[in-house]
Amino acid sequence: MLASAALIFGLVMVLLVLAFRRRKGPGDEPQQVRIWIIGLGLVFPMSVLAALLVYGLAIGERLLPREGDDVARVGAEGRRWVWTFSYEDAPGRTTQDILHIPAGRPVDVAITTADVIHSFWVPRLAGKLDAIPGRVNTLRIEADAPGTYAGVSAEFSGAGYDRFTFSVTAHDAAGWDAFLKGDTE
Amino acid sequence: MNALERHRKLTAIWASEPGWRGWFSTVNHTDLGRMFLVTAFFFFIIGGLLAMLIRAQLATPQSAFAGPEIYNQIFTMHGTIMMFLFAIPTFEGLAIYLLPKLLGTRDLAFPRLTAYGFWCYVFGGTMLLVAMVLGIAPDGGWFMYPPLSGPLYSPGINTDFWLIGITFVEISAIAAAVEITVSILKYRAPGMSLDKMPIFAWYALITALMILTGFPPLILGSILLEVERAFGLPFFQAELGGDSLLWQHLFWLFGHPEVYIIFLPAAGVISTVLPVMCRTTLLGYGWIVAAAVSLAFLSFGLWVHHMFTTGIPHMGLAFFSAASTLVAVPTGVQIFAWIGTIWKGRPELRLPMLHILGFFATFVIGGLTGVMVAVVPFDWQAHDTAFITAHLHYVLFGGFVFPIFAGVYYWLPHFTGRRRFFHLGELAFALVFIGFHVTFLAMHWVGLLGQRRRIPTYAPEDGWTAINLISSVGSFVLAIGIGMILIDVILHALTAARGRRNPWRAGTLEWAMITPPPAYNLASLPHVTSREPLTQEPDLAVRLARGEGYLATPRHGWRETLTVDVASGRPDMHVLYPTNTLLPIIMSAVTGVFFLSLLLKFYWTVPLAVAGVAYLAWRWVWVLGRKEDLDALPMGHGITLLNAAMTDHSPGWWGTVFLLTANATFFGSLLFGFAFLWTVAPGWPPPAWFVASPVELGFGILGAALGCFAIGHAIVVNRRNGSPLPGLVLTLAGALAVAVACAAMMARTPSPEAHAYGATLFVLGSYGLFHAVLGALMASFLIARVLQGFTSPMRRAEFTIVGLWVGYLSVVGTLVLLAGHLPGLAS
Amino acid sequence: MTDLIRILIAPLVWLAAFSAIYGLHGLICGHGIEGAALGLPMQRLLLIMAYIVAVLLQATLLAALYHPRLASTSNFVSFVSHATGWTGLVATGWSLLPVVMTSYCT
Repeated sequence: MLASAALIFGLVMVLLVLAFRRRKGPGDEPQQVRIWIIGLGLVFPMSVLAALLVYGLAIGERLLPREGDDVARVGAEGRRWVWTFSYEDAPGRTTQDILHIPAGRPVDVAITTADVIHSFWVPRLAGKLDAIPGRVNTLRIEADAPGTYAGVSAEFSGAGYDRFTFSVTAHDAAGWDAFLKGDTE
Repeated sequence: MNALERHRKLTAIWASEPGWRGWFSTVNHTDLGRMFLVTAFFFFIIGGLLAMLIRAQLATPQSAFAGPEIYNQIFTMHGTIMMFLFAIPTFEGLAIYLLPKLLGTRDLAFPRLTAYGFWCYVFGGTMLLVAMVLGIAPDGGWFMYPPLSGPLYSPGINTDFWLIGITFVEISAIAAAVEITVSILKYRAPGMSLDKMPIFAWYALITALMILTGFPPLILGSILLEVERAFGLPFFQAELGGDSLLWQHLFWLFGHPEVYIIFLPAAGVISTVLPVMCRTTLLGYGWIVAAAVSLAFLSFGLWVHHMFTTGIPHMGLAFFSAASTLVAVPTGVQIFAWIGTIWKGRPELRLPMLHILGFFATFVIGGLTGVMVAVVPFDWQAHDTAFITAHLHYVLFGGFVFPIFAGVYYWLPHFTGRRRFFHLGELAFALVFIGFHVTFLAMHWVGLLGQRRRIPTYAPEDGWTAINLISSVGSFVLAIGIGMILIDVILHALTAARGRRNPWRAGTLEWAMITPPPAYNLASLPHVTSREPLTQEPDLAVRLARGEGYLATPRHGWRETLTVDVASGRPDMHVLYPTNTLLPIIMSAVTGVFFLSLLLKFYWTVPLAVAGVAYLAWRWVWVLGRKEDLDALPMGHGITLLNAAMTDHSPGWWGTVFLLTANATFFGSLLFGFAFLWTVAPGWPPPAWFVASPVELGFGILGAALGCFAIGHAIVVNRRNGSPLPGLVLTLAGALAVAVACAAMMARTPSPEAHAYGATLFVLGSYGLFHAVLGALMASFLIARVLQGFTSPMRRAEFTIVGLWVGYLSVVGTLVLLAGHLPGLAS
Repeated sequence: MTDLIRILIAPLVWLAAFSAIYGLHGLICGHGIEGAALGLPMQRLLLIMAYIVAVLLQATLLAALYHPRLASTSNFVSFVSHATGWTGLVATGWSLLPVVMTSYCT
């Protein structure tokens, strides 16, 4: 995307520079309209954009949460300025500002808020999704490998916004079992 | 009469009052346009200083420059000032100054309204500045999302300043939009059909129509949020049946068109200036008009792309993603038409052209990153990061500030009648261009690295330190460049090098006058036969000054002009303007008392202010008009025209049509909000439903029908020389019946503080009641006019205007009552 | 005024259809609609039907704008109204394309 954007930008700049070098553009006015407006103004962007749109929609579809049997489900509740995470497989268990997930398995995060709008964002695992009062939004994330992933709240929430961060710890299968049993903190 | 005598006579008629009083009583568009522009640039400087504070804060990690409380106010005010107090007023000022000159006429349609809008802008803007000086400025971000901006999480007065101040300022936007629309459609030189209009007028017309349909959702949202904050009626609280997403819909329903409301006037400047810089004509005039119209409409179908991360189902997002990519097409048409224009002509690298090239480089990047964030998965990552901040600055600085600088330098000789003496401008442009790109390219980068927008500090280990420092250094270069432009402009206005007339050898009519322009613009009005009258007739200015056009002879000390048929440009009415008056500033001051009382919760002064505004509005219309018919008067060149007061579709009628368009958008947004809460919000159904009453409903609808029928009857009877009084009295009765039915509905609404259902019904009822009272006032006004002899079968313009309002009242009154009663009756 | 309407009508109808189908989609997802017909779930079928109606409406409008009896007497206005008419048709086809491309309530 970045490369094609740079290419288009380059094309526009070249056309501008050439405009200053040439003495006279090609053809009469109707022909100029055909070249500049119909060709470069209509046909060119529409073909690029159509391709981009179809591509974007297809990717968006792929990122949607689908049903599956190995999906782990967790909850994330934002409150100024702390995240509380809960686990379907370990009822009653909550953690603050550290979300534990199994690695290599899809995880659905049910995102809610106790006060204002927040946004749950772990850049390396998925895009962001807002926590909206009165609603539950579900985000599908998946960590390929065990490890720690940084997360932030990405919707302005007042004076403590800059410090409103959390982290995600992805466990291997054994570590995840241990976490669910309450062996790890 | 020779040219000099004519100049003296016209100046005596059209000039503002001498001395300081003239500043406050002027209704002249040249004066007010200049005042608008100077005020807007004053706010631009303030907003720019705030931007410098932001960059100072972010230049180093863990900065202790400003705490979060202050920093949040700074960035909120930066966005608010630039959007509402700089960009929109700059368009208004430029359009107000230029349009009558470009269109070959003497003033805008409603001179007193121009002044009223200006003073509302000044007073509203001052309220926000006072809040900032006192350290209690809004701090919720410029889009003010509830619940953060709601009563629970922002209990202070900060948010109220925003909601009330901005609503006050928006009065001026609506006023200017009505004014600009009617002026472009009706107030043109004879012969100027739609296809001969200067391209800037097309852009201004489209922008004004967009303001009329884009601003009402925000005004509604602001009113609802303020009512929630002040009186506890829940609209945005999920636990009480409201929905914070409703605000986002209303805000972005305004907010996205707003971007194009800012861009289109700038595109109008480019389309005007660029061909002159290239010694040619605009390539594809008709294509550009069509592209601008398409852009305007498409921009209303994009608002949800600001809400891609709110959890709306994918198909919903996909609609807006598709529309957001599509909007790039008409933009592309314009960009390539402009490049084609350069190829067609012989470009000269003069100062306005430099800024236009700056526009191309910057705006195209902004557009391309815009297409990127239109792609949903990309936006899920980029949303609310510095990447978005960078993108929007590329769009707005590239798409507005560069073109406006081009326009400022292009029309400076017109504003002042002087030529540039010190050539600071070229160096300033280089600094602005380099500074801008350093600042915001760096910001793209740091955004992709994950820096969120609106954070006051970051940690050294985030790894953003160097990039932020580069960005801040760039911003100071940019600020120095802008400072130099301002100095250049001030020096230009002060140095005494007289310029020659039409220094750019342009073809449009604003150059067919002496500069700086006289109060009356054109000594006589031209007959237009081409898009570039000055190219066709280079000595046009002299001929007009000699009085060879229309309305060449001043008479009776009147401020006169004529209007034309919308499509063909055939002259159709003679217009007499009101003269200098303090009424606009007084009325906007009283309007200010109304808003200030709400802000400070002095509720006992609110009814006083409302009564004051009503009284002044009554006087406003009362002082116009006369007690005897006017004959059709000669306009010159053998044309005679009837005065506008003796037609059915007077300028006031046209203004009402467009004001009601904005009003209907407001009402439509309210109905949308009602349906949205009902179907989408959590926390429904409400604990208690409104108990429907067939009697109240029937009474109200009968009243609405009666009012509508009776005013129609009065219009017809008056024209046939009968007495309109019975019809008018029945109109009054009908309006009062609607008022009673709406008031009854409000009184019986189940506890508005307890649930959004009751709250919305209450607001709907107030809307109906307000319009019913307004209709009753207008009917009373007409009765008084008839009794005082201000109307006749000929002098009938006021009837059709009241007819529009009463017809509108009938429709909205009926809909309001149905919205309240029908669900109860149906179940 | 009629000339202005000729220019504005097609994109205006697009805006109305676009908002209506977005609203329809919201309603369909908010209130579970059951059933299937023609081998498609009811929800999808309703959306596709609305899509077809919107496109047909635009095509009719465009034909009307080209029709000699309804076209403007001004060459300029007919040119611009044809261009905006095409805009309406293309925008309808384009912006509502997700109706057949994406999943509807997730």
